[in-house]
Amino acid sequence: MELLRALGSLIETPSEEHGAVARALGLPRVPTPAVHGRIVAFQRRPCASIYLGADGMMGGDVRDRAAGFRRALKLEACSEPDHLASLLTLAAGLGEWRGDQAAAGDDSRAGGAGTGAAGARAGALLLAQARATLAWEHLSPWIRPYLASFERCGSPFYEAWAELLERAMDALEDDLGLPDYLPVSLRDAPELPDPRADGGEAFVRGLLAPARAGIVVTRDDLNRLAGDLGLACRAGERRYALVGFLSQDAAGTLAWLSDHAERWASRMTGRGPRPIAAWWTARAAGAAGLLARLAEEARSAAAAVP
Amino acid sequence: MSAPLPLARLEARVSAAKAEVEARGETFYPGASRVHLAAYPPKERWSDWVELDSKAWPDRVERRFMLVPTTCFNCESACGLLAYVDRDTLEVRKFEGNPEHPGSRGRNCAKGPATVTQLADPDRILHPLKRVGARGEGKWERTTWDEALDDIAARIRKAMDEGRRRQVMYHVGRPGEDGFTERMLAAWGVDGHNSHTNICSSGARAGYHYWMGMDRPSPDHANARVILLVSSHLEAGHYFNPHAQRVMEGKRNGAKLVVFDTRLSNTATHADHWLSTYPGSEAAVLLAVAAHLIRRKRYDAAFVERWWNWREYMEENHPDQPATFKAFQGVLHGLYEEYTFDFAAAESGVPASTIQAVAELVAEAGARLSTHNWRSAAAGNLGGWQVARCLFLLNALTGAVAVPGGTYPNAWNKYVPRPIRMPARHPDEWNDLTWPGDYPLSLMEMSFLLPHLTAERDGRLDVYFTRVYNPVWTNPDGFSWIEMLADPERIGLHVALTPTWNETAYFADYVLPMGHSAERHDLTSYEQYDGRWIGFRQPVLRTARERLGEDLPATLDANPGEVWEENEFWIELTWRIDPDGARGIRGFFESRKRPGRKLTVDEYYGWMFEHSVPGLPERAAREGLSPLEYMRRYGAFEIDRKVGPLHEAVVPEEELDDVRVDAAGRVFTRAPAAPSSNVVPMPPMDGDGEGRRRAGVEVDGAVLRGFPTPSGRLEFWSRTLADWGWPEMALPAYARSHVHRQNMDRDQMCLISTFRLPVQIHTRSANAKWLNEIAHTNPVWLHPRDAARIGVETGDLVRVETRIGHFVAKAWVTEGIHPGVAACSHHMGRWRLDEPAPVASGGSENEGSKASEGTESGAARQSMATVSMDRDGQRWKMGRKAAGGPFQSSDADTSRIWWTDVGVHQNMTFPVQPDPVSGAHCWHQAVRVVRALPGDRYGDVSADTAKARREFRQWLELARAARDHSPNGDRRPHWLLRPVRPERKAFRLPENGGRGDTT
Repeated sequence: MELLRALGSLIETPSEEHGAVARALGLPRVPTPAVHGRIVAFQRRPCASIYLGADGMMGGDVRDRAAGFRRALKLEACSEPDHLASLLTLAAGLGEWRGDQAAAGDDSRAGGAGTGAAGARAGALLLAQARATLAWEHLSPWIRPYLASFERCGSPFYEAWAELLERAMDALEDDLGLPDYLPVSLRDAPELPDPRADGGEAFVRGLLAPARAGIVVTRDDLNRLAGDLGLACRAGERRYALVGFLSQDAAGTLAWLSDHAERWASRMTGRGPRPIAAWWTARAAGAAGLLARLAEEARSAAAAVP
Repeated sequence: MSAPLPLARLEARVSAAKAEVEARGETFYPGASRVHLAAYPPKERWSDWVELDSKAWPDRVERRFMLVPTTCFNCESACGLLAYVDRDTLEVRKFEGNPEHPGSRGRNCAKGPATVTQLADPDRILHPLKRVGARGEGKWERTTWDEALDDIAARIRKAMDEGRRRQVMYHVGRPGEDGFTERMLAAWGVDGHNSHTNICSSGARAGYHYWMGMDRPSPDHANARVILLVSSHLEAGHYFNPHAQRVMEGKRNGAKLVVFDTRLSNTATHADHWLSTYPGSEAAVLLAVAAHLIRRKRYDAAFVERWWNWREYMEENHPDQPATFKAFQGVLHGLYEEYTFDFAAAESGVPASTIQAVAELVAEAGARLSTHNWRSAAAGNLGGWQVARCLFLLNALTGAVAVPGGTYPNAWNKYVPRPIRMPARHPDEWNDLTWPGDYPLSLMEMSFLLPHLTAERDGRLDVYFTRVYNPVWTNPDGFSWIEMLADPERIGLHVALTPTWNETAYFADYVLPMGHSAERHDLTSYEQYDGRWIGFRQPVLRTARERLGEDLPATLDANPGEVWEENEFWIELTWRIDPDGARGIRGFFESRKRPGRKLTVDEYYGWMFEHSVPGLPERAAREGLSPLEYMRRYGAFEIDRKVGPLHEAVVPEEELDDVRVDAAGRVFTRAPAAPSSNVVPMPPMDGDGEGRRRAGVEVDGAVLRGFPTPSGRLEFWSRTLADWGWPEMALPAYARSHVHRQNMDRDQMCLISTFRLPVQIHTRSANAKWLNEIAHTNPVWLHPRDAARIGVETGDLVRVETRIGHFVAKAWVTEGIHPGVAACSHHMGRWRLDEPAPVASGGSENEGSKASEGTESGAARQSMATVSMDRDGQRWKMGRKAAGGPFQSSDADTSRIWWTDVGVHQNMTFPVQPDPVSGAHCWHQAVRVVRALPGDRYGDVSADTAKARREFRQWLELARAARDHSPNGDRRPHWLLRPVRPERKAFRLPENGGRGDTT
């Protein structure tokens, strides 16, 4: 379980002490805080609510559910309960309690299952349930697209870290024997708005909410888009930049995003637990299809202009 | 490319690396814990921590720091600080939170980091000063510590030798330490401790004390289901940080927050229910909630039956009924029947439906109800102490006492280590200036009456220390203080020990510079959760230089200028008072290691940490440190947590010898008490008169520790109150305040002054430029309805007329205040004189530095207006000559001060209003608020001290003096807490009943 805790600590702002953790894991040299700022803090903040929330922002139901999960376990409140480091630390802790507490017959972390041998068994059962719930509802639903966003991010450390964490998640999920139904956050996730019905603003917001579009669009992605299409990337938040692209070259932008979504669909295929992988694949593919249709309509409309 | 390592192997490798690093006492996982704050330098790198110099940006200039922990001295909560001492310049560059501190857990409010601005204040006092003109003339000359010490010591020695120990008084504002000064006064045999507490928290504390024997609540907000705060004052201004963070933790865990506050405070903005109660009605609302619990049988009957003194109450008050719990329940039901939601709504102005909703919440909370009252309603109203008593009634009803999520008695969550050479003796006489017989039940000294008592009862103080205290500004009736301080017949020598210039120091004979939080030693421990910790304040530059190998014999050698610390000052003074030890005093301040030499602070604290703090020596040894080294390195130590309900603790068999159980179930034993290294103040329990001491109380056949009250139980009915003249107040009750509408004229309003904005702290933050920039004025809050009636808008001048004078301030029209109530924060309105004060005593021909000249200017210019002071007999006037603003100094920031309004001093226009039971000053004022009159100017203050004297006498008539009501010939119930408790025989009333016994 120490592996999960160690990997969680490495997504925090790097400091000298992280070097020892990284060396123990055989990871490349820990980057500077500036690199962390550029790659993680600014573009890939590790909070479940960003990847699972309807608005693609921190907070809201997703974070509340993570906080509620901690409350149910009678744990100390946490300011960012859906932060990856919090979740991995908790996963490590629950794994350790499984061993320690079952041996001691202490069920206090498992909601008070009673005392004695029966109580210990019940406590162990509840802890197993808690571990599975944590993984299934709070980690697995978003961790694969999150980690996939580090591919070719330009930092050997974070690329290797993401790869290793994905292996660790695979092992954890195998160990837990997870269910075959969808986690609640994915079941509840609203679809990507269609600009023809819902308006352009909702559509652009939706594109930047991974749970709606099935894709992650980082600022680096937008820079690539600008380079590929020869567009000017406006300074400001991603939504602002995206609106700028659409106003400069709607058809090209939509087509680029459609290709991006298709790549995401194939990236997600078979990655992680089956229902979750299928969900992300389908959602990205759906977005790719919508974007392709919109691109086509935009091209036609542009061609129709005398 | 090599194959990736198997996960199991990585797991083993990282586990081994962690074990190896942590075995060295170092940090493996740095940075964010995601449970507390974001990141701290790992403690093993505190000796040499590198940061980039922000001022050098964009160049990357590294600066090396030594991180030295200390404790904040700005408010009482004693949060941990980490001083960043520049290793190259040996300057303190900044303060951040100390993550090793169990109370504050690395967090601070604005006041903590702002300490650095206090250290660098260009107006701070750097050298001992001696008055050369008349008192109040503002002329000073630099003197030496030696001269000051010799002069002061000689006067004290003479007073002692002539049997005038009572003429030595130490008057403290912010204590900031546990036990040092009381130990010193006990060693001196002087009953001269005087605190500010009766203008502060003593009302609420009296309410708690009468219930449970301990006088402060320790709420477990983090684990509560409902957090009920009567006022936000403590959470928003005083204990802001340790409690606020736990309030928020509780909220994150789903707790509901209920705040009673007449005005919309910071805390009220976070509340699920904000009850804007009319001032003084709080007890009525609380009793309505209690009545709901009783009526609906939603209280914990088993707890009540087990721990309340209901049997004693029934036997004494309902002798016609059987003393059974069932009969008591019937009586209880009837006692509070009249407190309906409608009644409470009519008194408070809060809708009955809101009060009912709160009552339901409280009922649902069960034993997870954390409650707190500190000042506010308890400090504002006649009978305010009953607010705390009624609030704690809810805990006592629901069993939310010393259980998780409930409210603990403070003494169980506090640790005061026994010091070296603890004096076994006590003063053998009683000081009537601080403990007048008129107020036998006052929880603390009647400090704010000092000008009146010295004047009316021929009281004289030969040596009067004001220590980090500014009564001229902080207390009500400041002009009476000026009259007293300027009168050499009443005050022989006034010594102001202060880190900062203040209005009181202006009237001193000596102004002696004392250190801020990073320049002094103190030990603290406060109730902030169910656990016990100690925090160590230390002079960080001294510690840093000693770590670098220097040998500094005194803190004076490391502090700026000649700023000293008090511990060493008091040790030195004591030696000069008793140079040969003939008076039996010096011995308490002699080294054990080096007999015949002075005790050093290292030995004082080192001994204490070695012998009186359980677990500390072992913890320190694990890191290869001595206990003192450990505390110097980490600044705090948690002794234990989850102390739990100590009243339920079983008294061990070995403590029970020749036991006698009286009819009330109190258990007495001849076995000595187990020795304790914790000397936290606790009420003394009288024995059985046959040589046995109180060991506990019998409950359901077991001998339990119980509560330190006369009955050993929670005292729903207080025999003390009943026997000492207040039978109608012996139960938690609602008494209409002096500012109840029926007690005021129709054109009067209630003015509340018991709050301040949380970034400021009385007078100590006057020179903190960062804090001043955030909050520097104190307009009068008015509800739009009242503003319309008066005919003013925000920014207009209003005249606020009290019973002894008036002040002129600006209006701030806001819906954040109850209609019919005005409010003015007490955190601003500082002033300075640039000419002699018009005091009665004559001038001096000596030439000294005038107050406004030179670097030691008699002012904290950042926050003080320059005023004129005029006097016509006993009618005083103060007018503003110059507002605040920029000025040139060694700190370039002072030339950038953009504000000019520094507020208005309102307290000078308030008469003293002592509560006849608790002794607390009742701050709320019945005032008339009108548009400013022609000729009124912003900042005008006027008061008539003759009227103030008449007000004092009127309030004195409410008192029930010991000479008339003492049931046993004592001056005061022996069991009540009292600082520097005199010998038992000194408690006896003198032959004349205590009249005029002051000199």
